[in-house]
Amino acid sequence: MITKEAIISNGAPSETFTLNLGPQHPATHGVLRVKMTMDGEYIVRAEPVCGYIHRMQEKMGENRTYAQFLPNTSRIDYLSAMIYTHGFVGAVERALKLQVPPRAEYIRVITSEMNRISSHLVWWGAFLLDLGGFTPLLYAFDDREKILDLLESITGSRLTYSYFRIGGVYNDIDDSFIKGTRAFVAQMRPRLKMYRALVTDNIILRKRLIDIGPISKEMCRRYGATGPVIRGSGVPYDVRRVEPYSVYSEFDFVIPTFPETDSMARYLVRMEEMAQSLRIIEQGLDKLPAGPVMAEKVPRVLKLPAGDYCYAVEAARGRFAVRIVSDGKEIPYRVKLRTPSLSNLSLFEEASAGMLLPDALALMGSLDLVIPDIDR
Amino acid sequence: METPESNAQLLSDCPPYVKFAKLDELLALGRANSLWPLTFGLACCAIEMMAAGASRFDISRFGAEVFRPSPRQADLMIVAGTVNKKMAAAVKTLYDQMPEPKWVIAMGNCAISGGPFVFPGQYAVVEGVDKLFPVDVFIPGCPPRPEALIEGLLKLEEKLTGKRRWPTVKPE
Amino acid sequence: MTTSSEPQPKADSALPSSPPAVPASSAAPAPQAAAAAGLQSSVTSKPTAVPASPPPNPLAHLPLPFKGVDYAAKGYHCEATVSPDQVVAVAEALDKEGLSLDTITGVDWMAEGQMEVVYDYFHPAKALRVVVRTHIPRDNPEIATIHKVFPGANWHERETHDFFGIRFLGHPNLTPFLLPEDADFHPLRKDYAP
Repeated sequence: MITKEAIISNGAPSETFTLNLGPQHPATHGVLRVKMTMDGEYIVRAEPVCGYIHRMQEKMGENRTYAQFLPNTSRIDYLSAMIYTHGFVGAVERALKLQVPPRAEYIRVITSEMNRISSHLVWWGAFLLDLGGFTPLLYAFDDREKILDLLESITGSRLTYSYFRIGGVYNDIDDSFIKGTRAFVAQMRPRLKMYRALVTDNIILRKRLIDIGPISKEMCRRYGATGPVIRGSGVPYDVRRVEPYSVYSEFDFVIPTFPETDSMARYLVRMEEMAQSLRIIEQGLDKLPAGPVMAEKVPRVLKLPAGDYCYAVEAARGRFAVRIVSDGKEIPYRVKLRTPSLSNLSLFEEASAGMLLPDALALMGSLDLVIPDIDR
Repeated sequence: METPESNAQLLSDCPPYVKFAKLDELLALGRANSLWPLTFGLACCAIEMMAAGASRFDISRFGAEVFRPSPRQADLMIVAGTVNKKMAAAVKTLYDQMPEPKWVIAMGNCAISGGPFVFPGQYAVVEGVDKLFPVDVFIPGCPPRPEALIEGLLKLEEKLTGKRRWPTVKPE
Repeated sequence: MTTSSEPQPKADSALPSSPPAVPASSAAPAPQAAAAAGLQSSVTSKPTAVPASPPPNPLAHLPLPFKGVDYAAKGYHCEATVSPDQVVAVAEALDKEGLSLDTITGVDWMAEGQMEVVYDYFHPAKALRVVVRTHIPRDNPEIATIHKVFPGANWHERETHDFFGIRFLGHPNLTPFLLPEDADFHPLRKDYAP
């Protein structure tokens, strides 16, 4: 194996140069800049520079009423927009002690899991594009269009839904949605099998990912990494299981965990999660209760009692938590958004030291970053 | 005496008198049918741009599927997403690096006017990418559908060639 | 390559499965009640109603002023208000308990002339969410960094410095993180005007 020590001991000179990755680059991560100090092809130090898509979400939390802030939540991490709205809406409902009707809770779970699958599909296509394979992106987007058709029929939007409202959801689902979702689940399972044969078992992918970018569980804990990053390091931490919210405690699903800590483990976690989400969607459709989809007596003007309230959800990238500090007025005093990509990326500097550049990019892709999630 | 300045003056006086007629039209047709976009997705609109490049909406039908990572090889910049004050210098550099002839599509509300992130006292967002350089086509939406991006591309082609590729479908 | 996908047991048995009903008066302490200096335990309920039974404190075994909080009402299990020079010791104690750093942020209480620095921690194996608060004077906001205990604090503290101007003493790189490199303003302060 070619190692840095072997190269240096063969008499190659050792001096470093600075390579700037981004903020515009062919990898489809978004506007992230990484200042890399390179020793040939090896990274001495990779320092991520953020802020190129800082959109003042937390400042807007202090300028908007609770209902007006709802569309912002979809745009923090636009790939799992539903789940992020759930985090904010859950915090407000917790503070107001609103009872969300059970049908709305089940609809929330079903649509959140569909959102999770569509987010993982984008990750999968973009990750393989980073590694050099263009085809899986087309397959992934084809499957994703089916999910988006279903969600568009009930929410009206393809990407940034504002479907969850404070007290429930704003539109009920109809029979065509239920039928379409069952048909989607039925045709997605063989597709996942095909992806396993086409991509996951592909020898090139395995050589690119196995043993690349190990992140120990101690490093995950020290940096606060969550989601598939920590589940690919052997720790079965999933907010849906550890701090159950909504009606997740009534569902039977497995938390995929792989102990190898390398990029392949994180890859497999997400592939398994898609299969588990299909199970949750099926159970949700089977158990869907009848009833209203919006709580009664939601006040027109929302004023939360003074104090702070937190709510955490498991987004596609990890733990997303909202902390609302209220002083009793109709505009929050402070909205803090704890986003998973920031904690997941913060360990990149330590984890990528000494790696080859393409391996570091494979590691970064396996962290599944969405940069507006970091910059907010 | 011939100087570079007098030659340049001569060339700039030519157009009313010297036109290339069919060659111009041919060049415009060629440019319109093979716009090469720069991969410049900044935020949410980038996902709809990727969806437009994927198999269902397929901008490859219009010759624009070759997304180039380097601005020196691209002639169309689709600004898809919010432009930040921190990012503005980089965007301007990318625009300057593109060779002529070049066009810009501002995709999404953020690129048109700052989008949903404009509020009194805002400190980070550039309110519209046309504050940095000239824009040819504006596509509203948050995010605009891939069909809207394709319509914007057709509008740009119409701007280049003077003719629309397909007639507009009138709603019944 | 082995795969291990085992279902995770439910929430930790240290917490009751259904938290007792706590009246609204024992909600989070108002910031005015906590002073900046000295060991403080959070001011709890005003004596308007007698609580059925206070929520259990999962960190009662630590010699730190933690108190239990009703999770269903607030979203976290215990909290403590400490003085600014104790945050590192608290971080070390929570690190030994196996907790992970969730986030660090600030809240600008301009009317009281204070800034509140809030540390959120979570446990990666059981349902345990801990909030540590401290108050620092607004006109000279300085506090020690905890990045030696939790390296993840590095970025959170940079962001808090960006937004509020709070200086984290001992931080290796307190430069703008989300704002432009030459930014000299702190936008989330309540007296910020562009």
